[in-house]
Amino acid sequence: MTTVLLLLLLAVGAYLVAVIEAWTTSGRLRLAAPLLAGIALLGRESIVPRKPDQVFFEVAPVLLLISAILAAAVVPLTPDLIITDLATGALFINAALVYVLVALLMAGWGPDGAYAMIGGWRFLGQLIAYAMLIVMPITAVVMRAESLLTTQVVVSQAGLWNIVYQPLGFVLFFIASMALAFLPPFDLTTSKGELAGGVEAEYTGVRLAIFRLGRLALIITLAAATVVFYLGGWQGPLLPPWAWSAIKILVVTATMLLAGRYMPRIREADLLAWCWMFGIPLALLNIFIVGVLVLVFP
Amino acid sequence: MSIELLLALITGAALFGVGVYGALSQTNLVMIMMGVELMLAGAMVNLVAFWRYLHPDNPAGQMFVLIIMTVMAIEMAVGFGVAIARFRAKGSVEMEEAAELKG
Amino acid sequence: MFFIGFFGLAAVWFGIVVFRTFSMVRSALALLFSQTALGAMFLSMQAEFLGVLQIMMMATEMSIMAIFMVMFMMDPGGLGEMDMTHQKRLSLGAGIVSFVAAVAVAVFVDWGPVATVVPDAAQQTIDLGLELLGRSMLIFETAGITILTAMIAATAVAIQPGANSTTSHRRRPVSTNNPLDSGMRRNDER
Repeated sequence: MTTVLLLLLLAVGAYLVAVIEAWTTSGRLRLAAPLLAGIALLGRESIVPRKPDQVFFEVAPVLLLISAILAAAVVPLTPDLIITDLATGALFINAALVYVLVALLMAGWGPDGAYAMIGGWRFLGQLIAYAMLIVMPITAVVMRAESLLTTQVVVSQAGLWNIVYQPLGFVLFFIASMALAFLPPFDLTTSKGELAGGVEAEYTGVRLAIFRLGRLALIITLAAATVVFYLGGWQGPLLPPWAWSAIKILVVTATMLLAGRYMPRIREADLLAWCWMFGIPLALLNIFIVGVLVLVFP
Repeated sequence: MSIELLLALITGAALFGVGVYGALSQTNLVMIMMGVELMLAGAMVNLVAFWRYLHPDNPAGQMFVLIIMTVMAIEMAVGFGVAIARFRAKGSVEMEEAAELKG
Repeated sequence: MFFIGFFGLAAVWFGIVVFRTFSMVRSALALLFSQTALGAMFLSMQAEFLGVLQIMMMATEMSIMAIFMVMFMMDPGGLGEMDMTHQKRLSLGAGIVSFVAAVAVAVFVDWGPVATVVPDAAQQTIDLGLELLGRSMLIFETAGITILTAMIAATAVAIQPGANSTTSHRRRPVSTNNPLDSGMRRNDER
């Protein structure tokens, strides 16, 4: 029952992400636009490129969607509203999200097209850049909670939200999760202007619809994860827990989508250099500070 | 003797066998590394099975699996370093062409 | 029991696919799915932390393997169906012998009573953490130092001789002893 409800909420969330994304790009709030676009995609012809790697081509969009759903499975919206409260939840989110990379590699290699392939391999480079910045801030969060349970992580922030307790970790995690969801300015893999859509270039019709749905689900999942790890999850005064979760998740989503809108696309090499030269030392510093804080003020 | 332990051990043995075949039969350095990875994976299954069915109270069994994962990562890093150097120097990583390494 | 057998079979099957397909990316991803099946097998053996860790680590490792395959193989797409093996009979024999020997050991050794009760996942994670930073700390730290050494050594081996640019903005000086751009040089000399 909870599972069905949460999957439904994930679908609604993905829809809202599409609406917000259209709003951040065009400035107009049109509620029905994603629905119409989706129906149009379903009705369109599904073109299969010449000599594809059939298995990868078919599996990739589905794998993207599945990995987003699996990551969402361990994110709590209220103390009870969670699909499975794994004892290793905070690690499981990472494990599920790494398969975004696998899906994009497949989508890049499968269709046998130059733009798609460049987009796919670019994402591998992007992973080398952002992966550590996802894992290390989560390590610091988990250190404070002294548990890998995601519900426990939220409970540990009852007194002080992690965004105040470890702001450095929040900034790094926020940037890294934008890179993971290949949102602008990190949309190297699907860049519209230079790669003609990148990994999306060869996909049409139903497959493209699934691919886009997977991407939207990924964005909302990452926003929910940010809320759980740094913004105190369901906690807040007056309103019921689910309302606080919903509000925070939507605000974080809008921030993510707006933040990159006004920045130029980052070059692959710059991203790698900055992440390794500044990001990882800062993440280590964050772990150190949190360790000291946890020991000194238990 | 439980059937589950046996299943896990047979899986480990089969992975090891496939890995040995791959490491010996492939001519490309990267493919040989894949064979080695499979052999290590076989060892890993055995360790987890022994931990689970014989000594579940001793976390040292799990620690050994972590060490094997480290070994896999090291093997990858060093192997690819050597592969890049070899490719720079000779233009290929085919082991048939590396006869000068014979003693 | 069903899940252990199923995932074990899947792992072995994908392991065989690694060496039977001609496409290099398929080969690397087959290895990935073999390892993922192993991770699922760990999960069904109630080793939750290890299973999740395995699933997470191998995805990155094998994807990196895939790009190296594409870089270093002559025919990464496998369209030419080139035979990339040697000493087939010997290696097949060695593989089968090692498999049979290991199975024989597994079958004929008396493993004693099998434990049925396993600590729950949260307790396992706590135990593992205490083990790593307590009794086995030296081993764990050694592993960490070793991986750091391996990273530095691999980078040192792989780095392009003569390339001293640290940032990406500067254009790399064209080194003259680099076979990768030998084609270009030959054109210049002609």
